[in-house]
Amino acid sequence: MKSYNILLTGVGGQGLMLLSQILGDACTSKDYPVVVGAQHGLAQRSGSISAHVRMGDVYSPLIPYGSADMIIAMEGMEALRYIEYLKEGGVIVMNSRIMHPPLETAPIVKNRQEKKEYITIDQIFQQLKKVTNKIISLDANLLALEAGNPRTENIVLLGAASTQKDFPLDSETLTNAIKRNVPEKTIEANLKALEIGRRQAEI
Amino acid sequence: MSFQDLIDPKPKKVFLLANEAIARAALESDVKVAAFYPGSPTSEILDTMYLLSGKYDDIKMEVSINEKVALETVAGASMGGFRSLTSMKSVGLNVASDTFYTLGYTGVNAGCVLVVADDPHAHSSQSEQDGRYFAQTGHVPMLEPSTPEEAYQMIKYAFNLSEKFKILALVRTSTRVNHQYAPVNIGEVKRRPFIKNKWNDVKGKYFTLSDTARRLKSEAIEKLIKIEEDFNSLQFNKIIDGEGKVGVITSGVSFLYTLDALDNLNLKIPVLKLGTTYPIPKKLVSTFIKNLDKIIVIEELLPYLEQHIKIIAKDSDCGLEIFGKETGHLPYVGEYNVSIVIDVLSKIFEKNIKINYKEILKRSEELKKVIPKRFPVFCAGCPHRSTLWSLQQAVKGTNFVLNNDIGCYSMLQLEPYNLTDMMLCMGASQGISSGMQHVLNDKIISLVGDSTFFHAALPGLINAIHNQHDYTVFILDNSVTAMTGQQPNPGSDFGPNKVVEIDIESVVRGIGVQNILSINAYDLKNNVELIKQFLDKEGVKVIISHGPCALYNDRKKRASGVPIIPNKVSSEACKTIYACVRDFYCPAIELNMDTRQTEIQLDVCNGCMSCAKLCPVTAIKSVGSELK
Repeated sequence: MKSYNILLTGVGGQGLMLLSQILGDACTSKDYPVVVGAQHGLAQRSGSISAHVRMGDVYSPLIPYGSADMIIAMEGMEALRYIEYLKEGGVIVMNSRIMHPPLETAPIVKNRQEKKEYITIDQIFQQLKKVTNKIISLDANLLALEAGNPRTENIVLLGAASTQKDFPLDSETLTNAIKRNVPEKTIEANLKALEIGRRQAEI
Repeated sequence: MSFQDLIDPKPKKVFLLANEAIARAALESDVKVAAFYPGSPTSEILDTMYLLSGKYDDIKMEVSINEKVALETVAGASMGGFRSLTSMKSVGLNVASDTFYTLGYTGVNAGCVLVVADDPHAHSSQSEQDGRYFAQTGHVPMLEPSTPEEAYQMIKYAFNLSEKFKILALVRTSTRVNHQYAPVNIGEVKRRPFIKNKWNDVKGKYFTLSDTARRLKSEAIEKLIKIEEDFNSLQFNKIIDGEGKVGVITSGVSFLYTLDALDNLNLKIPVLKLGTTYPIPKKLVSTFIKNLDKIIVIEELLPYLEQHIKIIAKDSDCGLEIFGKETGHLPYVGEYNVSIVIDVLSKIFEKNIKINYKEILKRSEELKKVIPKRFPVFCAGCPHRSTLWSLQQAVKGTNFVLNNDIGCYSMLQLEPYNLTDMMLCMGASQGISSGMQHVLNDKIISLVGDSTFFHAALPGLINAIHNQHDYTVFILDNSVTAMTGQQPNPGSDFGPNKVVEIDIESVVRGIGVQNILSINAYDLKNNVELIKQFLDKEGVKVIISHGPCALYNDRKKRASGVPIIPNKVSSEACKTIYACVRDFYCPAIELNMDTRQTEIQLDVCNGCMSCAKLCPVTAIKSVGSELK
């Protein structure tokens, strides 16, 4: 099977590990070869995290630099933080939400008279566009609320990602994997999030 | 995986984390006793066994006080005739090593498996320790899986191996193996009824001294010679045929990087993948190298295989050239990846690389300059953040040394705190403080969490009291072993079995500490003065700061339907004083760039109220108070 590499990136606590589980489980249910290199380790929230999802005939749990077909970024800055993994012209599906870390806030507060600014999503786009023009940016936070559960940002982005050319998993396979892996009482919101993400990307 | 798949006794193909696959293999191997102290990257083995023991009540599962006791517990069970499993991180085996080395002499009875996980890159460890030398110096066999499927199979094999030779079996992994998910073909769970044995029926001799020690050592070495015979033809050691006179010898996750790299370079060279790395199957290696001119040894950490293969090559006298770390072809430091392997192979084979990795990395570094770092931080609502805010205020302007320990609070060494002078290993905050108070004029402050306190700090503290030392101990009691995923410790009120909660204050009082201050972490302003006064006292003084781990507590709240109500900044009241965020560094608090006021992210904040207490104009209130 032709390989398809997806790098998932985000901030601890956003449900990135669950998203990697859903993708892996979906592949397994279709008998597609898959390997996921996950970043566990520290349990704390709010740090930068990533997971390498590798489908098809590949071996190692890490995507080589410049080889990811897609980056799914659950947070704006995290789309850029792992940019070395994206192949030339690869797809970025990203949340337009930015979560400013304490390290960005600290110097602004310390030197308040300098009126330093936070980084903006446009500055991030500018950098990303130097690598690819295939960028799908969604306000996943808002769309997750629309789906009925703010914690479904991950599935909104998955919905958008699934509309992309060459994405190896069909809608039914993803739906079944979501049903198997999310808490039962959140299935409805998650499926709605998948649909909303898909629709949004097709606009 | 879904947990249902993991507990289902039927065979099937499931998507599993290697750590889950290890636990499933233990379940299928009829393990009756499992004991662990958590440590990344092995913690999910513990977590999975914990879940399984809830379903299979013939598993006696314990979260032990430390790795040494965990190893002793499973060794004792094995001596008593039942299969047992423990796992620990590389540096965890240092703690258990006293027991480990003697078990290498005495051997065991029923299958007894120890999983030890190294952490190349030191992702979540204090060092890049190479656990492979434990096997060699401890006289025990070692297996090394590359994938979750292989981890599953090797654990099952390891139990049989251990039982056949009455020897402890080591399964050595590394971070990228433990944290690798893939489909695994799991087998059937068949559990034998658990009826306790009689010692007379299973009895062996497990003591060693002097001439017994010498006899047992020679027996262990004889066992290993027989095991090596088995390993020479074992399915886990495989030769992948290829063309040419240059080959690769590798193991573990490096094998996978090698396969990807060879594909990428379109090279079809012979590869020997070693699944047993102690004893090394010398016959097999000799056969492999016999027809080759050059070998590239691809392994992370120290040149363990490389040096062994040099010895075998010398014995075979085949004029083999060996490339590896010692020839400067591969790095000693950090973890490997496909690019590193492609780089070395492309040089040796004079092949062009399709992708210029160095160029990509250089360009990416340039592009990324605009974004700030996002280091691990204390979670929103973490009690440590509040305690540490108070501590920072209390020591301002004083001369002090901060001796830190292993836990979430280790992050104090990172920006923006930069507040650690020493941090070595579990419990070392105490002994090092003892040494420093003999020779320094400054105030000596040590920090230790509840789990680390029980694990290894207690002897140091007793020593300090006995010898009448002079320093301050902060015990940050958040009721769980937080950093590894909130497992229970002896101070917790839960566990896989019924537990007795050990009260830290009683322990400290019991060993003779006179000055004990118990504070609520979230009472952060009042704590400043209390801490200041306490730091001025003589002798060993202990400050116990209480506050439950926010992650653990939030999960408990969600499970029992208690709402988590975040805070909100009132834009009318906020005067941009920034007391809520300066020195406090909460990830839930951001600035609004238009008003320059602070704002709280509702889905990150857990309503701990500490920031509200810091605000001098009471601009921060619970969202709940508005709803009323």
